[in-house]
Amino acid sequence: MSPGGLSDLATGQLAAEHEALMQFLYLAPVGLVQTGIDGEILMINPISAQLLMPLQRDGNLVNLFEALRDVAPELRHLCAMFTRSNGMICDGLHIHLNHTGYTGGGALRPRRSPQVLSLSLLKLDGERLMAVLSDVSEQVRRERQLRQNDAWLNALLTSITDYALVGLDREGRVSEWNDTIGRVTGHSDDVIGRPYSVFYPVDAITDEQVHDRLREADQNGWNLDEGARLRADGSQFWASAMISPLPDRDLDPEDSDGPAYCMVLRDISDKRDAIETRRKNAFCDHLTGVANRRAFFEAAELELQRNRRAPRPTALILIDADHFKCINDRHGHPGGDAVLRQLGLFLSATFRQVDVVARIGGEEFAVLLPSSTLEGAATVAERLRQLVAAQTVAFDGARIGLTVSAGVAASDGGSDFDLDTLMKRADQALYAAKANGRNRIECWTPALSQSQSLSDRIDRSPRPRDETR
Amino acid sequence: MNNITALSFSTPALLEQLAQLNADQLDQLDFGVIGFDADTNVCRYNRTESDAAGLTAPRVLGQPLFTNVAPCLNNFMVAQRFEDAEDGASALDDTVDYVLTLRMRPIKVALRLLAEPGSAVRYVLVQRRP
Repeated sequence: MSPGGLSDLATGQLAAEHEALMQFLYLAPVGLVQTGIDGEILMINPISAQLLMPLQRDGNLVNLFEALRDVAPELRHLCAMFTRSNGMICDGLHIHLNHTGYTGGGALRPRRSPQVLSLSLLKLDGERLMAVLSDVSEQVRRERQLRQNDAWLNALLTSITDYALVGLDREGRVSEWNDTIGRVTGHSDDVIGRPYSVFYPVDAITDEQVHDRLREADQNGWNLDEGARLRADGSQFWASAMISPLPDRDLDPEDSDGPAYCMVLRDISDKRDAIETRRKNAFCDHLTGVANRRAFFEAAELELQRNRRAPRPTALILIDADHFKCINDRHGHPGGDAVLRQLGLFLSATFRQVDVVARIGGEEFAVLLPSSTLEGAATVAERLRQLVAAQTVAFDGARIGLTVSAGVAASDGGSDFDLDTLMKRADQALYAAKANGRNRIECWTPALSQSQSLSDRIDRSPRPRDETR
Repeated sequence: MNNITALSFSTPALLEQLAQLNADQLDQLDFGVIGFDADTNVCRYNRTESDAAGLTAPRVLGQPLFTNVAPCLNNFMVAQRFEDAEDGASALDDTVDYVLTLRMRPIKVALRLLAEPGSAVRYVLVQRRP
């Protein structure tokens, strides 16, 4: 007789079923993880390990929150904030990966690696969480395309306060005036000959981006852009602008001033709140209000794609709050959060509208500066450093001092240009800024690359990052 | 023929010695052995590995390793290295620290990856880390 009083036959059946069930879990094409309430992994299936192992610096997989720390720093916070005894903590949260951590060795190439993971977290009780992980890179790519189509339909179907029809020449200069332009923008016919960036707020578009949109209209048949626009009197309105190439523009190559594109500029101010709320939910960091990782990597990829078509300098700054762990230890997480919120405000105040400012890690921020040189970006980074160092953050009766370190990297454009390289170089410069005493800016130089990769080979240690919480 | 029990996870030039062992001898090794052929189908699977994973050999033999047996190895840290070695017609003998999900528990292991040009069978060897 077998243990538990079962017959040998029943025991054999149970064993076979157990094995089949085991294999069912081994082969399930989604990641399943059960963890303690603090993220400690209790049970895990193979797909989870396939997705998580490439993110591990030390070859261990002990805690789910720790495993995702670099790419989803908010998880611990999300769980801590979830006060109900059970229920869905997050459902299909998108986690954007980047591969700077993978570039340490020749064989460690990011091929095959996912770009975006989806994570759902279910709180079972006060002790346990269940997590579902899957690679949704391909779905995200398709969704992005669908969103563009949605925006296009939105532009057509949305209720319109008014619209202007603007003819643009080959270079994007206003080629004709009509009274719809006067009605929507307040410009008179002296706007003729000026590039369509005249309708944008200062710093909201670069000369290169003016041409990018024309090239995209050439390639796709249209280009759509939603955002703030400027009237002649300086007041702003919310607009949707669609640029389309005119069909007959190639007939007369001599007439370079004639209209080559048509721009339909619609005032959709009354829809603005709804659009902004939707945008914020999807693309903003919940704590600081700057862009989140998803928005950053989407914007950076788009800018670099454009850069490959029409090379121009592009700069990237990685910014890290110094000794952030000490601030958390001394003032608690609410104090740390207050510091991060203030840092977000400093960042938004320092950079141009066209720059993409994002929180990409616990206390790590990134800024992509289109059409900026290394020197230009370093100057702005230095201005930020001084601004942060000169102020304190009021919290709970205390004044918290803060400094930041930053690494700057740039490319003058060209075909061999990619985001991974730029991120890696800015990271190496940031490493140098930290190693050289913090509260400073370092620009990437080829020498940094060599010294850093050397130290990589010796101890494989990550840069002296101040511990996240 | 060497004494089988003398073979350990870290024995040098292990691939050719494994090739000479029959199934019973393979079962006596104290580390997990998974051998797979040119189509990545599993053709050797020893008892140590079978016990650790909770799967008997018939469920595993003949199945494609990286999709139906051990999808957790299907990334650039393991599968990619075998592909790279194949593409470059070069030998592979690397040991990497890894975490396997054996019976749904995360288990720290060392993996030794063995391949040689012209060799019919490639191997993933598994040893638990403390």
